[in-house]
Amino acid sequence: MPSFLKKNKNIKVLIGLIFLQLILISIQVPLDEEETYFEKLIFSVFSPVQHGVVYLFQKTGTFWKSYFDLKGARKENERLKEEMFFLLQENNIIRNLLQKYKSENEINDALRNIQENILHARVIGFDASNFYKSVVINKGFLDDIQKNMPVLDRYGNLVGRIVGPISLKESRIQLVTDINCGISVFSEKKEVLGVLAGDGKGMCILKYILSTDEDFFQGERVYTSGFDGIFPPGISVGEILSLETTSGLFKKIMVKPYFKFQDLDNLAVIKIKNLNVF
Amino acid sequence: MKNLIRVTAGIIITIIIYTTLAKISISAVQIINLFSLVVIYFAMEKGEVFGACLGAFCGLIYDSFSLGVFGVAGIAKTLTGFLAGYVSKKIDVNPFIRSLIFIFILISSELIVWGFLYSYIFSASFNTGKGIVFLQPFGTAFSGSLIFLLIRKFKGVTSKHKK
Repeated sequence: MPSFLKKNKNIKVLIGLIFLQLILISIQVPLDEEETYFEKLIFSVFSPVQHGVVYLFQKTGTFWKSYFDLKGARKENERLKEEMFFLLQENNIIRNLLQKYKSENEINDALRNIQENILHARVIGFDASNFYKSVVINKGFLDDIQKNMPVLDRYGNLVGRIVGPISLKESRIQLVTDINCGISVFSEKKEVLGVLAGDGKGMCILKYILSTDEDFFQGERVYTSGFDGIFPPGISVGEILSLETTSGLFKKIMVKPYFKFQDLDNLAVIKIKNLNVF
Repeated sequence: MKNLIRVTAGIIITIIIYTTLAKISISAVQIINLFSLVVIYFAMEKGEVFGACLGAFCGLIYDSFSLGVFGVAGIAKTLTGFLAGYVSKKIDVNPFIRSLIFIFILISSELIVWGFLYSYIFSASFNTGKGIVFLQPFGTAFSGSLIFLLIRKFKGVTSKHKK
């Protein structure tokens, strides 16, 4: 075959591949909530690899701690004992306070309800295009994970919500720092309602607050209001970092989320709509 | 068959390193574009068509790790794979410095294509990770040249032993 034809054949393959991918992109755009079967398939195939890597990491860490790093394990044990001691004290104080309003059985039932509806999950993957967009956790269909379940960090701060795709043992979380995320929130002191969205760079923006609205305080806490029908009310999200009154209709308010990206290891998936069990 | 096993092994190793690095430091993943290194390595060995096909496949895997649109990274990596295979046939890019410049140019172009497509489709600028992502061409070029050199050395040693 003449060389120019051979060259053309290669270019034809290249054009064909690009064309196929352009078709693939056009199928998915405009972007909507529902993921495609193709996306689900790819996710189900590759997420177990990530799951396996994290499992291997965990096991290596446990092996190291159990057999070699005994000094470190002892130190951690002491720290956990101390932490547990204070948590038990706190628990008792709160229980005693609650007993003024509720019977012991009612309290036990409510606490059991919370325990049964909180699922512990571990982060196994990060978003390749933007780390502040989404993460993958090691819980899926088999753990009763469903779309829109809120996800909190280990301190109870809002991290995001479950979005698709959900495979058997893996699912994806949309982080509050994603630009497409929208949460109904209110400020702690002035109780002004707004919509919180991510800026895609690790921070959040409090939207639709009129320039004529009352001033916020720097450092003022922001909580979920529950009006979006996804996140239960009263979950701490972050605090106001800066505010600017612009010449436009709305204020420019930056919110720093409480969850720390480096600490995103252990997460809590909330399986109930209402956390206000008392 | 042997090629398929090698490519599969290469991709699995990449996913493992990618997940491991992401667990240790997010910046590390932003500095080194591991999937593109796999594409460039095999494109240099097998030619532009193989590189383009592998680029498309690796792009899909890359997109599956993100809450985005399938095909964005695919197009960028397809072009990278094709160019890597085509240029490496014409010029010897094996010496360390040449390899460094070659990968640097390829990754820079890929970043431009990917950034353009991302911004166009999502109507938003992509996260530069406080500028860290701009170190990606150099980070990938340096680590890639080093890895390719080590692989060649290793291959040389094993072929000598076989003789």
